[in-house]
Formats: sequence, C-alpha cells, structure tokens
Amino acid sequence: MNHLIRAEFRRLLATRMWGGLLIAAAVLGGGMFGAMALAGPENFDPPMPGLDTEAGLRAILGILGYTAFVPAAAGALAVTSEYRHHTAAVTFLFAPRRGRVLTAKLATYAVVGLAYGLVLAGTAAVALFAVAAARDVSLGLPATTVLALLGRIAVAMVVYLLLGAGMGALIHHQIAALCVVIGYLYVGEPVLMMIPGVNTLYPILPGGATAALTDFTYVADAISAELGSGAVHLLPPVAGALLLTAYAVAASVIAVLLPLRRDVT
Amino acid sequence: MTGDHLAIEVSCLTKRYGDVTAVHDLSFVVQPGVVTGFLGPNGSGKTTTMRMMTGLVSPTSGTATIGGLPYGRLARPSRTVGAVFDANAFHPGHTAREHLRVYAAMGGHPDSRVTALLDLLGLAEAAHRRTRGFSTGMRQRLNLATALLGDPRVLLLDEPGNGLDPEGVSWLRGFLRQLADEGRTVLISSHALGEIQQLVDDVVVIRRGELVAAGPCSRLAGPPAVLVTSPDADALAAVLTADPVNGGGTAPHVEAAGPDRLRVRGLDAPSVADLAVAHHLRVHELVVETTSLEELFLHLTTDKAVT
Repeated sequence: MNHLIRAEFRRLLATRMWGGLLIAAAVLGGGMFGAMALAGPENFDPPMPGLDTEAGLRAILGILGYTAFVPAAAGALAVTSEYRHHTAAVTFLFAPRRGRVLTAKLATYAVVGLAYGLVLAGTAAVALFAVAAARDVSLGLPATTVLALLGRIAVAMVVYLLLGAGMGALIHHQIAALCVVIGYLYVGEPVLMMIPGVNTLYPILPGGATAALTDFTYVADAISAELGSGAVHLLPPVAGALLLTAYAVAASVIAVLLPLRRDVT
Repeated sequence: MTGDHLAIEVSCLTKRYGDVTAVHDLSFVVQPGVVTGFLGPNGSGKTTTMRMMTGLVSPTSGTATIGGLPYGRLARPSRTVGAVFDANAFHPGHTAREHLRVYAAMGGHPDSRVTALLDLLGLAEAAHRRTRGFSTGMRQRLNLATALLGDPRVLLLDEPGNGLDPEGVSWLRGFLRQLADEGRTVLISSHALGEIQQLVDDVVVIRRGELVAAGPCSRLAGPPAVLVTSPDADALAAVLTADPVNGGGTAPHVEAAGPDRLRVRGLDAPSVADLAVAHHLRVHELVVETTSLEELFLHLTTDKAVT
C-alpha cells in the first residue's frame, strides 16, 4: 500500500495541476473571497446583510463553500487522466489489485484536498480579518466561530475532492466526468430545486449538506420564497458534515468496487 | 525471480462481447528461452488474448497462467511480467524520468533502475523532456523501459514494431533475442510479418479468435520444396512421381510452377538431381525453396486454407 501511495504522490507532484490547484485555492480564498468581503455583502445585487451581521458573514462564507467545484473537478480530472492517457492499463499491470490502487489514490487525494482546503481557508481568514480591520467592521460572529466555519469549509473541500475522484473512477471519460460533477453542482441541483416535491430533498443533497455545514441558508430560503411553501430547513452542521462524508465514502466505495471487474481496453 | 523459466499457458480461453466472440476456445503454450510471434490479421483477437493473460480483460471462460499462476495471483507482478500494450501510455505532462519514477515506486523498484533503463534504452538525453514531444520511437522505448523496470522474466509486447524505423526494428530484434537467450519468455504480437520474420523462433497463429497453428516456425513451414527448371519438365515429373527410389512410401508431390518448372515436395535436391541424371533428363536450375513466414501466415490465415 505504501508503494502505491508513494507512486500516486509522485504521479501528482510531477504534473502542473498540483501547483495550479494551490494557486487556485489562494486566488479563491485570498483573492475572490477577500474582494467580496472588501466590497461588502450589503453592496451585492441583490444586497445581502453586511459583515457585521451573523447572517451576512454566514452568507459570504457559504459562497466560499460554493467553490467546492474546483477540488471536485480536480479529483475527477486526476482519476480520469489515467484512462484518458491510457496509463490505467500500465497501473493495473503493476498493481493488479485494483481496489488497492483506488484506495491509494483516494488516500493521496484526501491529503491534497486537505492542503487545498487549508490554503483556501487560511487565505480567506487572513483576507477577512484584514478587511474587517481595514474597513473597521466588527464581524457578526466571534473570531473563533469564523475560524471554525472556515475549518468546516476546508473539510468540505476534502470531501468534494474525494467526491470528484469517486465520480471520475465511475465515469472514466474525462469530459463526461467533469460535466457530471460541475453540471450537477451548478445546474442539476438548482434545476432539481425547481421541481416541487423534489426540492424538499435539498437538505439531503450534496449542495444542501454543504450549505448545512456552514449554516448557509440563502438557497434554502430562496426555494422557500419561490414556492411560497413551508420553509426548507437545512440539517444541523454536524449532520451535514456526516452526510457529505457519506456521499464521498459511497462514491469512493463504488469507485473501488466497480472497476475491479471492468475490462481495461 | 531471476533465472526462473516461466511458460505462459493459455487454456480453453474464450472472450465474448455480447454476440461477438473475440476469442474462442484458444489453447497454446508460450515457451521460455525463445521469442514467440503471436500472429494473426488485424482484429483476430491477439490484443484481447494478451490482455487476458495480464488480467486487464477477464475471460468469459478458460484460463491464462504465467508460470502456473493467473496474473492477479503473482506475488510481484512487475518483477515477473513486463507488458506493453498502448504505444502511447504516458501522461503528456510527465517527463520520461517522472513517468518511470511513478512506476518504479508502484512496483517497489529502486530509482537506480530508472536511471539504468534510461541509459539502456538510449533515453538519457530525453529524460527531462515531457513525453508530449516524444517521437514514436522514443515512446516505444519508454514503454519498453516501463515494462523492464522489474527486470521481468516474461515480456509481452503488443505490436512493438508499429511506427519503428528500420534501425529501430533491427535494434529491437537484437534486444529481444538477448532477453530470450537469458531464458526469458518473450511473446510479441504482430500483423506485419516482415518485421518479425528473422526474430521469432516459434509462432502462434490465430484467426477470428481461433487457433490456426502453433509451434516452431521450422516445423510449421514443413520440409523445403525443390524448384527444378528443366526443358524436359513433363518427363521429369513422370519420373519423380513414379520412381520407386523414394523408399518412404509416400510419393513425392510434384506441381507445375511455370513453364519448364516444377515444384517438388517430398524429395531433397540431390535425389531430384540423381533421378534426372539416371533418366538422361536435363536440369538447368535446382533451387531449394524454404517457406517464408509470410507465405506460411497467408497460407494459414486466408479463407481457402480453412476447410
């Protein structure tokens, strides 16, 4: 197993994706999130509560959580590149126990996801506190709570990277896997939310679970308002985290089990 | 595994994809110490068979073993078998060295092996270049280097000659010959006979997924024919088929091979010459004709050969 994990790290570190991913984390965390904080949610269109309110702070952190498509796409890309570049056959020649190969990949990507999440959350924290100090805004939540929420976002990034990797291992085809992963998060799930009845499932879908992680109720409230029906309630944060992890585990287990018997041509 | 002599044994191997039978009830043995050519027209099931030998494709029925074990049960697969399937199995962003280092780690082989193979296969200067810029010949050599990382006793190469220039083919010949002489098992598939003609000792010929012939080239080709040019061809033919000198019991087979020419099977050249002299028949030319691998292949794989 150690051999396989070492091989996967070598494979990953030899490509440019690794560096690009960490730069993306810093750009999204320090750059995009910092710029949003600097502009202030109260100046968004439509306006949202300001940073000095709990709702405003949670909303802007929820938006940061929405960048989870980046690690999800990275996970899908990393796994499917083996099929795209025909190295899967070579890999399975060196390691015929395919379950162990995918397990090693998932272990490697969990570390990468954590690095991504820490850079994202770290740069976002620096940007947020710097903006608060510069604009002389007192944040709507205590610093420890903000840091805890950012920590949850970092964990969400790990989970999404594994989700992407799991989907990539299931789908094999690179473009299709990217379309499914990003398409679901940004088109599929919002469309599902338009369907009466189905939208009540929002809290237990990946997007809803991510929102629960940061108590980001913006989408849930929008659905409720749109439908004029009863409010859609998110899961408690811990339940959201557990559910999200369950999604990643399910994707990983299917990914580990399914390729075992599939022919590699 | 150094020094082991491992045979590949294919037994009643069948692979069906839906209604299409790619490989049907195939059985043969690939011996160590020789280079075996795996021959058949395109689409005859060679690649599928080789992928089943290495566990990449699971057979519908039957088995393929290497040294008595199925690939998935080999203790250290990359030290036992090296295989090349795709001409282009690298991440384009990896350098040759990085590519080899990934698989060295995976197989538990030391990094010194990477350097040694880059040198051995003439890739040392290209070691730090990304593979996307590699020529076909360089790709083939990098594939071979990957397969050889574990110094395997069995080498499987699927169409290794594709895209190689004559110099590359000649190099490959010498290289594989050396590996076979070290007691390793070498199986190379090909649909192009010319490139492996001088290379293989044994052949396994398949057609539409079924075995057509297997064994040493010399045995499959049969005894050489004798080509005789004589103005008295008709008289000579009568003498050759009638003469009791042929003690073997079976009459020699004689056929016309053009004007004044006969192709004789079942008699050697001296016998043909002696008989001609004994009957005062003129012989202008006497040529021993060995069957080329190409003729053998065409003979075995064209429709009319299968009855």
